[in-house]
Amino acid sequence: MKDLMRVRSLISNEVEALLNQQVKKEALSSSIYLAMASWCNRNGFDYSSEYFFKQAEEERHHQLKFYKYILDMGGNAISPEVTGIKQEYNSFREVFEDALDQEISVTQSIKKIYALCLQEQDYVTNEFLNWFLKEQREEEYKARRALELFEVIGEEGTGQWEIDKHVGKIKYDSEA
Amino acid sequence: MITTTLADTKQTTWAEVFSTTQGAIFQSDEDRCWYVNFAGKLAKFDYRCLLKLKKAVYNVNIEEKLLSSAKDPDLEIIFICACDHTYILSILQIIALKEILEGTFVMLQLNSIIHDKLYRAAF
Repeated sequence: MKDLMRVRSLISNEVEALLNQQVKKEALSSSIYLAMASWCNRNGFDYSSEYFFKQAEEERHHQLKFYKYILDMGGNAISPEVTGIKQEYNSFREVFEDALDQEISVTQSIKKIYALCLQEQDYVTNEFLNWFLKEQREEEYKARRALELFEVIGEEGTGQWEIDKHVGKIKYDSEA
Repeated sequence: MITTTLADTKQTTWAEVFSTTQGAIFQSDEDRCWYVNFAGKLAKFDYRCLLKLKKAVYNVNIEEKLLSSAKDPDLEIIFICACDHTYILSILQIIALKEILEGTFVMLQLNSIIHDKLYRAAF
């Protein structure tokens, strides 16, 4: 009996389901960042708004990377439904706290896919995920650094204005 | 392994993937598809449709159906988009079909493992 299943798809159904979940997660991240960009813009934090617009673009790019990978491997990529995006924030700081939470949750879910691939010996997908693991280093660093600015600058006086100005300058260029 | 002659007299060899007393699923290597013999009909499914059938059947909440005291008939319509076949099944038939599909996918996975070990092994 021929192995008709393997002929059609490189990835297992379980890996495919998790990758589709990740597509949704990235789409959700992109939408959340867009809402953050709107909130920052409305409240006069223009540099932060610009920063979140860029983040939203990046997440969308990640989503498409996963999407195309599923299709290239013979799977069924599902266009996700994204609802329930938080539009209002209580404070400038809360926006960045939520942003870091979102990045942590993305890192955790990529680790989960990685673990399943190792278990299934799906090294092809592991290799694909390596890029994302490295990317998450940068994403978490940037989100954590932004929150750090609230500590080192402080929000009093013109603090928020200073923080906003510095958010636009956050960069991660580790050679490691 | 069983040999069946189709109506157009083409000799086709089907391999039984999994069967129960309620029905069976066969694989045709020549046609690269599966034949589902269930609920009084023999239906042809390609790769995509077989996965869609699995998803549709697995998505039926059997427990909820069994506990429901509603007076409507416990029939479930398994409609698969872009597929020639539709099933209208009772809850008992859903359970039977689910069992066949579960067995089938385990056997197909086993077949992949056997292929890996026998034909694709790197020495």
